[in-house]
Amino acid sequence: MATREAGKKMIMLKSPDGMEFEVEEAVAMESQTIRKMIEDDCADTAILIPNINSKILSRVIEYCNKHVPTTGATGAAASDTVAPAALAEDLKIWDAEFIKVNRATRFDLIQAASYLNIKGLLDLTSQTTIDTISDNSLEEIRSFLSTKNDYLPEEEQTIRRENQWAFQ
Amino acid sequence: MSAMAAALHRRPRSLPPLEDEDLLSEILLRLPPQPSSLPRASAVCKRWRRLVSDRGFLRRYRRHHRRSPPLLGFFRNDLRGISYTPTMEAPDRIPAGRFSLHLYDSRARILSCRHGLLLVARSSRTKFLVWNPVTRDQHRLVAPPAFDTYAAQVDGAVLRAAGDAHHFQVVLVSYQQKQVIACIYSSETGVWSDLMPTSVQRTAVGCQGMPAVLIGDSLYLLLSDGGITVILEVDLNRQSLALIQVPLCMLAYGHYRDFVTVMRAEGGGLGLLCKKGFTAKLWKRNAGCDGVASWVLGRTIRLDKLLSLNLEIKIQRIAYAEENNVAFLRTVSGIFMVQLESLQFSKLPENNNCAICYPLESVYAAETSIGGGHGGADQDMLV
Repeated sequence: MATREAGKKMIMLKSPDGMEFEVEEAVAMESQTIRKMIEDDCADTAILIPNINSKILSRVIEYCNKHVPTTGATGAAASDTVAPAALAEDLKIWDAEFIKVNRATRFDLIQAASYLNIKGLLDLTSQTTIDTISDNSLEEIRSFLSTKNDYLPEEEQTIRRENQWAFQ
Repeated sequence: MSAMAAALHRRPRSLPPLEDEDLLSEILLRLPPQPSSLPRASAVCKRWRRLVSDRGFLRRYRRHHRRSPPLLGFFRNDLRGISYTPTMEAPDRIPAGRFSLHLYDSRARILSCRHGLLLVARSSRTKFLVWNPVTRDQHRLVAPPAFDTYAAQVDGAVLRAAGDAHHFQVVLVSYQQKQVIACIYSSETGVWSDLMPTSVQRTAVGCQGMPAVLIGDSLYLLLSDGGITVILEVDLNRQSLALIQVPLCMLAYGHYRDFVTVMRAEGGGLGLLCKKGFTAKLWKRNAGCDGVASWVLGRTIRLDKLLSLNLEIKIQRIAYAEENNVAFLRTVSGIFMVQLESLQFSKLPENNNCAICYPLESVYAAETSIGGGHGGADQDMLV
């Protein structure tokens, strides 16, 4: 049910495993998918989020809570009082801690971020995945991401030859 | 108000991210903008190759990295024409042969290199060429008579509007008696703007071989007005010219000053690097609250200490890479590339005997045909 706390509109997010999370509407609207639903008047009080379990949904809400542009009691943006650079630095440190999760959780978060359309979270999770493989050899990338090499040896040779400089 | 919970209709994807091609593309988009990234990703497996060869993906990849294009190398005019030297280390060292231009015009000279395009002045009076060194596309231009390279000294710059991968603009500046004239060409409309004149006090002469620097929506060029250095600002949005005085104490240096160059100051505004002897001083143009801008002296760099040079070595400035904020300095022992914020530097192994060079800062994303299936030649793109 929607409640009002300190003038803030709340919304209930429900995971398919039956958990309910009451969050500020502004926090939920960090998700463009949810924002659209609310703006189109398709949801007023509660939204069921299919296929994102409570464990992942709670992490997603944690992320949105941190990243929602905060407003003080007077309505002035908090960034008016805190230097934007310091704020950005704080968020960066927070993000780095937040994404210290195992690979399965990170992949679940990628799916959730994509489905709920939360750009910042998709950036963070995808970039972290790329960063873990960037400096690795092709064999390491394949084994790390459990990706099968489906090239015939001569096909792989041809591809390497096309841009030989990139494999030196 | 409904008491029932609304449900998001669209079902989440059920495939793991690395098997869901939309999500995998989203991840691969974050591969670093280094030239070797996509060729190497192509070799992982067939699916990866198909995804990173897709035109839509390449467009998004270039857009994703457009604010951090790597410094790939530089072009210069030499006796053979226009040549390219890579500056990155393997495996990101794209061989020079990929970017060669044969114009059969020994007097053609580069005026500008920006956003993956070169602007070349042909030897025939008002003829110019915009060249994409990767696709080898050429766009020929005939400038208005005021930009006749025989009759006047002409500077120029090429650029793309932010996020516009298709069109470009060319800005030409001509130094005439008592005035400077500029004109902007848009490839979108195919026409030149009205001439923009501004008067100078004495006689304007361009600082030969010092390409314009793009900062925000303006181009900045140094010129000499009767021996006094001034900055010419070409405002691309308003299509207007303005003259900006350099710091007064810089003028007092007089002819003892070795060189001065426009640069991007910390925070992104207009800056100047002024070198005298082994000392480089960085200046920043600050907009005052009363609307009156002023110069503020920033950091001072001792180049001999930074680069461990001995005192006999002469340092010349040969280029400035505006997106990476890197100054190219030539000494007898080689060319140094100095990042002006971090002061990290590297030295190019060869000692190129060039007076001026034109850095290529670009996201190199080659559009490869898939297994030769398209039957066409590979097409590369630089943006």
